[in-house]
This record gives sequence, C-alpha cells and structure tokens, in this order.
Amino acid sequence: MKNRLKILRAERDWSQQDLAERLGVSRQSVNAIETGKYDPSLPLAFRIADLFALPIEAIFQRD
Amino acid sequence: MAINPFSRRRNPAYRRYTIRMAISAAVYIAAIVAASRLLHKQAPASPGAVMIALVPGLAVLAMIWAIGRLLSELDDEYLRMLEVRKAIFATGMTLAVASVWGLLEIFTAVPSLPVFWIFPIWAMGLGAGAVWNRLTLGDAGCA
Repeated sequence: MKNRLKILRAERDWSQQDLAERLGVSRQSVNAIETGKYDPSLPLAFRIADLFALPIEAIFQRD
Repeated sequence: MAINPFSRRRNPAYRRYTIRMAISAAVYIAAIVAASRLLHKQAPASPGAVMIALVPGLAVLAMIWAIGRLLSELDDEYLRMLEVRKAIFATGMTLAVASVWGLLEIFTAVPSLPVFWIFPIWAMGLGAGAVWNRLTLGDAGCA
C-alpha cells in the first residue's frame, strides 16, 4: 500500500522520531510504514489520520 | 541518533522481558550445575532425583512464559510483529533441525540428539530470526 506519510511529515518538519512520539509508537514503526514495509492496523491508521486531520484515504492509497 | 522513548531500550515490555529472562537463565544455569553435581548421569528415577532434575525444567517453563508475556505486553504492533516473525523463524528452524536429524538417526549411525537441545535450538533460532528481520526489513527490522 502506498502512503503520503513521509510528505506529510516533511511538511510539518517532523522527524520520524517526532511523529513516532506523537503517535505513541516506535520510530521503527514509522520507518516501516513510510517505506511501505508494513501496513498499519486500522486503529493505528485512524490515529495517523486524526493526527494529520485528514481522511485515511488521503494518506493511504491502493497500489 | 537520539534514543526513542518507545524503542526497545525504553519499552517497559522489553525491560520486564529482560529481567524475567535474566532471572530464569540464572536459575537454569544454577539448577543444571546443581543437578549435575548431585546426580550421576542416568541416576535411578527416584522421587528425589526426579525433583532435582525437574528444577531446570521449571526455569525453561519460566523462559517460555516470559516470551509469551512479551508478545502480549508489547503495545507497539510493529515491534510485536517483529517478535512474532522471530518466533516463527525459530520454530521453523527447530522443526527442520529436529526432523532432518531425526531421519539421520533412524537411517544412519549419527549420534543421537537429546531432546533437551530443542529449546536451546529454538532460542538460537530467535537470534537467527533477528538477523532475518534485519536482512529483510533493514533498519526497520531492528527491534
């Protein structure tokens, strides 16, 4: 699954660590999601969407 | 690189796991040393001998329990997945070694592998699984 996490994070000038802390997950999780190695669970995807105040489909897209 | 408060170093689930494993491993080693001094190999299975020989087994049970607790206490879904991948890798490796060596034992004169080794082999498989995570997931694969 593709996602715009890295762009959204860069727009806010957050490091992976910053985003991880805001989401309450490990930096490895953010890294794995950004690089497409891991698709987050639905609850975590909603947390990400809430943090950026965007609908999930504006962040995660079908391949 | 700054230490992430949610990384392995600081995650309370990993801290509890490390403490539980360290205690269990210490009991295991002490019990093995004690049993090997108190009992001659293949001592008659008297109640006392069985009790002494079972103490290291209890320590192994504690280690298995600690691994189970880690998987249920880890609140980070991605780190939990890394641990599950390690456990699956270790299980596959253990099944492979035990099955292949077992066949060699049936058909050839290779020395017998005591079942005692199953858990240590599985634990080594966890380590190999960590390498596998690292190789397949890169930086994101380091729990």
